Order: sequence, then C-alpha cells, then structure tokens
Amino acid sequence: MRDILRILVAPLVWLASFSAVYGLHGLICGHGIGGSAFGLVSVPRLLMGGAYGLAVLLQVGLILALHAARFSSPSPFVRFVSRATAWVGLIAAVWTLLPTLVTTYCL
Amino acid sequence: MNMLQRHRRLTEIWSSEPGARGLFSTVNHTDLGRMFLAVSFFFFLVGGVLAMLIRAQLATPHSAFAGPEIYNQIFTMHGTIMMFLFAIPTFEGLAMYLLPKMLGTRDLAFPRLSAYGFWCYVFGGTMLLVSMVLGIAPDGGWFMYPPLTGPIYSPGINTDFWLIGITFVEISAIAAAVEITVSILKYRAPGMSLDKMPIFAWYALVTALMILTGFPPLILGSILLELERAFGLPFFQAEFGGDSLLWQHLFWLFGHPEVYIIFLPAAGVISTILPVMCRTTLLGYGWIVASATGLAFLSFGIWVHHMFTTGIPHMGLAFFSAASTLVAVPTGVQLFAWIGTMWKGRPSLRMPMLHLLGFFFTFVIGGLTGVMVAVVPFDWQAHDTAFITAHLHYVLFGGFVFPILAGLYYWMPHVSGRARFFRLGELAFALVFIGFHVTFLAMHWVGLLGQRRRISTYLPEDGWTTVNLISSIGSFVLAIGIAMVIVDLVLHAFTARRSRRDPWQAGTLEWAMMTPPPAYNFASLPHVDSRQPLADDPGLTLRLARGEGYLSEPERGWRESLTVEVATGKPDFHIIYPTNTRLPILMAAVTGVFFVSLLLKFYWTVPLAVVGVTILAWRWAWSLGRTTDLPPRSIGRGLTLPNATQVSRSPSWWGSALLLTANATFFGSLLFGFAFLWTVAPSWPPPAWLTSSAPELALGLIGAGLGVVAIRRAARANRKGQDARPWLGLTFVAALGVGAAAGGVVLRAPTPGDHAYGATLLVLGSYALFHAVLAALMAAFLTARVVRGFTSPSRQAEFPVVTLWVDYLAGASTLILVVAHLPGLLA
Repeated sequence: MRDILRILVAPLVWLASFSAVYGLHGLICGHGIGGSAFGLVSVPRLLMGGAYGLAVLLQVGLILALHAARFSSPSPFVRFVSRATAWVGLIAAVWTLLPTLVTTYCL
Repeated sequence: MNMLQRHRRLTEIWSSEPGARGLFSTVNHTDLGRMFLAVSFFFFLVGGVLAMLIRAQLATPHSAFAGPEIYNQIFTMHGTIMMFLFAIPTFEGLAMYLLPKMLGTRDLAFPRLSAYGFWCYVFGGTMLLVSMVLGIAPDGGWFMYPPLTGPIYSPGINTDFWLIGITFVEISAIAAAVEITVSILKYRAPGMSLDKMPIFAWYALVTALMILTGFPPLILGSILLELERAFGLPFFQAEFGGDSLLWQHLFWLFGHPEVYIIFLPAAGVISTILPVMCRTTLLGYGWIVASATGLAFLSFGIWVHHMFTTGIPHMGLAFFSAASTLVAVPTGVQLFAWIGTMWKGRPSLRMPMLHLLGFFFTFVIGGLTGVMVAVVPFDWQAHDTAFITAHLHYVLFGGFVFPILAGLYYWMPHVSGRARFFRLGELAFALVFIGFHVTFLAMHWVGLLGQRRRISTYLPEDGWTTVNLISSIGSFVLAIGIAMVIVDLVLHAFTARRSRRDPWQAGTLEWAMMTPPPAYNFASLPHVDSRQPLADDPGLTLRLARGEGYLSEPERGWRESLTVEVATGKPDFHIIYPTNTRLPILMAAVTGVFFVSLLLKFYWTVPLAVVGVTILAWRWAWSLGRTTDLPPRSIGRGLTLPNATQVSRSPSWWGSALLLTANATFFGSLLFGFAFLWTVAPSWPPPAWLTSSAPELALGLIGAGLGVVAIRRAARANRKGQDARPWLGLTFVAALGVGAAAGGVVLRAPTPGDHAYGATLLVLGSYALFHAVLAALMAAFLTARVVRGFTSPSRQAEFPVVTLWVDYLAGASTLILVVAHLPGLLA
C-alpha cells in the first residue's frame, strides 16, 4: 500500500492545495478581506501569493523526498511512476495557481 | 486428478444454478459481467432511439414532431441514460468480466456485492424507464440545475425520478468501485507485482478510485435537492440562505471527473488492444500509468470550467482555465505513447483496429475543441450552444464508444468461443464513422451560428435549417451503422465457426483459458513473471489446465482463491468465497422498496425497508466466517497460506476502508457545502444559531473517545483469548452516546425549513446519528459473533473492520459536533 501512496501523494497534495487556495480566495472575496500589508502589497495578494508559495514548496519537498533513498520505493517501476507523478504535482501547482500572482482577485 | 476430472470438479463447484434460476442467484463474475454488458447495451439502444427522436425534432424548423414538454423529457433521458445507465455500467461490466481473468485469479473480491450492484442497477434503471413510458420522465436536463428543478418550477414527480433513481443506480457504481479496487490490489496471480499488472488493470484501478471520490458529491447533491423538494429544506433557495450555485459545484465535482471516469477505461481498452493489433508491446507503460494517474487528479480540479458564465471572479476562472488546459498534457502523453506503439509495431487493419483509428481521429478533434472551451473568452461565446453538445459527443463517442466497439470485436471470440465469419462489421464501421462526423461536425457549425442547446424548435429565418437537416441525416446513418454492428455481433454469437484459443495471439492472461471461459477461469492459478505471461510462455495455458499452478486440488467443495501483497505480488492469504445465493437480488429489491417509497411519498414503508435491509445485511455478514480455526492451506508449489478470517487486514477490511473513503468524500462535500453557503450565499448569518449545550457536546465527545478505546480493548482481549464482550458492550454504549448527542443537533436545529443553516445542521446531525446507529449495530453484531464462537485469538478479522467504522464515527461526529456547537458558543 505504501507504493500506491507514493504514486498518489503528490497529485493528492496538489488537489488539496488547489482546493485550499480556491477556498481561501472564496473567503477573501466572501468576507471582503482587504487592506495593505507593510504598505507594499495588498493583504489578499499577500495571502494568495503566500498560499501559492507554500503549495509549490510542498511539491518541491515531495519531489526531494521521493528522490531520497529513505522514502523512495524499492521497486524501480514504482520509483519511476511516483517521481513522474510528483513532477505532475509540481507542474500542476506552479501552473494552476499562477493566477494568484497575476489576476484581479474579486472582480 | 487428470485434466478432465479437475475441469468437472471445478465446474461443479463454481458454476451457477442451471437455467433461468441461475440468473437470479449467480455471483460469478463472468455471468455478472455479461449481464451488466447486456443490460448496458440495451440502455445504449434506448438512449440511441431517443437521440434519433431529438434529431427528428430538429431536422426541420417549426417541427411538430414532439411538444416542448415531451422534448424536454427526451433530451434529459438521452443524456441520463447514456451517462449513468450505459457508460459507467459498461465499464463495470467489462471490468467484472475481464479483471479476474487478466489478473490470473478466479473471481472478484466480493462476489455477492457484484450481484447486489447489478440488481440495484437493473432496478434503478427500470424506475427511470418506467417514468419514461408513463410520460413523467425527468425533464430538467441531465444536470438538473435548480432552481429549474426545485419545488417551485418543477413541482411534479419527474425530477424526483431522476434524483432517486440515479442515487439508486449509483449504489451499483460505488459497489463496483470497491469491488474492482480491492480485486486489483489484492486478488492477483502470485508474482504479479505492480509493474507486471496488465495495463487495463491500472486504468480500472484509477477509474474505480475516481468513482469512489467522484460520485459522492452527486449523491449528496441529489439528497439535498430531494430534501428541498420533499420537505422544504432550502439548500438551493437564495432567499432562505441557500444558493443554487451549490448544486452546480456539487454536480460538476462529480460531472467533470465523470468524463474521465468514462474515458479512462476506454483508454485501458485501447492500451490493451493496440499493441496486439500492431504485433508489438505497449510503448511507455510507466509513462502511461503516471499519465492516467495525473489525469485522474487533474480532472478533479477543473469542475468550475462548466460554470464560467456564472459570475465567478476572474481569479477563480483563471485557476480552472489553467487546470483545464493542463489536462491536455497527460492526455497527449497517452496519445503519443499509442502513436509510438503503432510506429514501432506492424499495424494490422483488423476489425478492432478500425474502431481504434476511429477513436484517434474523433477524440483528437474532441480534445482540441476541449482546449478551446477551456479558454474563458471563447467559452463565454460558445457556452450552452450546440457547439458544446458537439464537443462532448466528440469526446464521449470518440473517447468511449469507438474504443468499446473495438473491445467488443476484440473480446467477442473470448465470450462466445467463435471467430468472426460475416463481414458486416467493416461496413458498419464506415457508416458509424461517416454518420457520426456528419452529425456532429454540422452540430459544431450550427452552434457557432448561435443555436442554443436543448431548444425544441427554431425559425426558418434563423439560418440553421440546412445544417440541422444535414446533422439529422448523419445521425440516421450513424444509427443504421450501430444497428449493423448489433446484427453482426448477433450473427457472430449464434452462427460463426468455433474459434481457436487466443485468436489474436495476445499476451495477457484472459486468453490462457478455454473459450467461452469456464466458471472457474483457471484450473490452477498461474505464477506470473512478466507483463505478457502468455506471450513469454506459450505453454502456460496447457500447464495451468494440467494443474501445474496454485490451488489445483479443490478441497471440500470450496470456491477457493488467494490474495497477494499489494506491491510485490507475494501470496499472503487463502480465500474461501461464498456460493450462489439469492440474497443480493433480495436485498436490492428491498433497497428498491426504500427508494420507491421515497419517490411515491409512502413514508410509512421507508422504515420497513430500512429494517428489511438491516436484517438482510446482518444475514449477509453472518454467513461469512467459521466457528473453528482453519489450518494453513497448502496451495501448491510448496506454499501454505493462512485463511483470510485469521488475519488483521482481511479483504473485508480493505472493502470497508474504501467504502469509508467514499463516505469521507460525501462528508467532506457536505462540509464544503456548509462552508460555501456560509461564505457565498446571501441571507447569512442566519436569524439564530444553534444554542450550544455543554452536556450534549461533552456526551458526544466522550462517547467518540470511549468508542475508539473500547473497540481496541475488545480486539486486544480477543487476541489474548479473554472475554471481549464487556468492551464490545462499552463500544455499543459509546456509540449510543454519540447518537444521543447527534440526535440533540437534529432535534434542536433552528427552524430547518426557514433557513439553509438549520437545514444543513439537520443533515449533519442525521449523518452523525446514522453512523452512530451503524456503529452500535456493528458492536452488537460482533458481540453476537463472539457469543456464537465465530471469533478466536486467531479468527480476529472482524475486529479491525468494526474498529474502522467506530474510528470513522468518532472523527466525523467530533467534527460535526464542533461545527454545530461552536458558532453558538462564540455568539
């Protein structure tokens, strides 16, 4: 079962991060959260950007873990597939959450 | 025992009852797979006839063929039947028929569950057909958006047929998904590690996991909408704190993964057949597994692309637009792997290959228009036009029907034991291919000219007449093609000459048996050393028939098999299956009484049906297990295995864990719905919060904690040979405590009919109460099993199963009680 988890974990974490960021976006817009942080950036942008960064970092951590001898599978096949799905998770996190940095949030 | 004696003995043990009686009592996967496929193709024909009616209506302007009321029923039932009663059950049937054979075992994990799922599908599908015959079929479109389908705008019974009938049918999908997942993970031939699994099994595994997590949001949505319609709980009514967009979220959380739930099994068929047709092996097996897995997850992150015109903020649109375009990448990886397979092989243009080529041509066009509608500005223009209808038909017909037709021609010699004789299939393919493209290319065109989907008629001056006529002519050509496929297959089944074994020279294990397949599949189970066991070892079939594999000597008339470790394929447990029984059909019928009672509002029969299902479920579980310890079973080749009742991770534990995964998705969707309404819906906060009650909250939380401890102590006592009953009694009491606290939430939820807050609390409380009753029943059942001697220090498998459910109750009820009481406490 650990091998199945190795294969599924990165996309699963992406799905959780994606849902969480979308939920955070809903909370920001639904509750009218606004204001400025440090006079440089708006609070919503900071929150969304922070969540984006965290999601990407998680994926990077998973890739590193799945390449480490301690966490990778003894089976070469599972090692390959789990690392491939880890890259799917990272690319998905970088691409699908990119709008947190570049679009308007509540319009 | 020689080959013939072994065959006779195994046939006696594994076969279903003779004649028509066997239909109702069979639990054999080959029978049930064939029955699933026969019924699903019947529904395909019904859906096809409805499609013809739609095209007859739209062939000319001012059409008087059907009035708008009947037309609404026709297109709703066409979509509903094709999605729920044809596509998903076809996957279930195909997987049921093929998987044990491909995996080198004798049956699926839970044979009675297969039969129960089949009968739920038949009864639920029949409910929908009856509604159509009576002229009261659902008429709100296959995705049933409220407020159109709410009690105000659809007061009749039509919508109820959809909500209740589809929920009934979905029991079948969930049952099949649990069955397929456990079977693939555990019921494989010894030696078949994950990297040696046939590619179809990978696709089926991914699809089954998607069903387990994709269907619960729709089941929840259907329950909430039915509660709104039947009891006035306003989940989707904005003026009472509800929001009709909640339905869209719940529906598409299911609906978009559904597209991939339909496509992925078909991709499994392609990946299986294509290398055989090209006389080579599949290119990029590992890449394909990774792509299918990635695709499955990405498909859960794109549901909002069906809602681009609902006024969602730009950032939300951009998330889902980006995710939607990303889906093209893993799909592309699979397509290129298939093209590479053709490139490295020597393609042979036999009948299945024609349909595979049809798939390539059609699906790529569907995929490209999919990328077009993933782009928000284009979607705003094309949304709800015939262009979208055409796109989804390119994806679903191209991505499912063509591969399934290829599969039909490929595995027909396996099912019938006959080789194709007549050559109608080639002509049929040409008609299907040409007819399909004429119909739906024209539909793209008329959509871009502005024709809305689902309109019952149009005016001559709209300028759509010629295009619609072309589309309708194409659809009738397509229908003639499908009719010819059926004629071809019927002629094949009854008149063709006998086929030699493995007519395609395939390498997978389903061909390592006589055809049509015997009830037991393999006279002895193979040891697998490669991904193409039959290609690498052509003498395998004969050796298995001679009994040179595992479990070659039938013992005590048992239906026996074995399970393996998930990753390595090393044998771990010995399995004894239940035999033929009418219990599944009986339980499906009583489940049907429950749903029909709700439909017809005969509420007094609902508790009777619930009691009936409980009694039958009790009997179902009671008939498993034994009152004496079994010695380890020698399975041949020098190996002995313990029986599955004597281990902590039995197949039932796996089944329960997966069912709870689906259950947790349902619960998560419910919490999402609550948070969504709270955050987005107008008319919040509600007029009053639930008054918090410290004793009630304490009772629930202590009960949850006590249950978790008590069931573990019970299991420990059993392992040590001590009396487990006191601890089981405590588990029972703890579950009742949780039930009482949940009942408090139900009874004190503030005016559920007046605001969505109270309505949601009512559902959350009922959910906890239901699970508390379930856990209490399980504790009582286990106590009875202890008393009757079904457990011993070695026969321990039932304790971990109950532990799972008690733990789930503890987790879910704690969350529910906190969610229910916290706002009142803070206020």
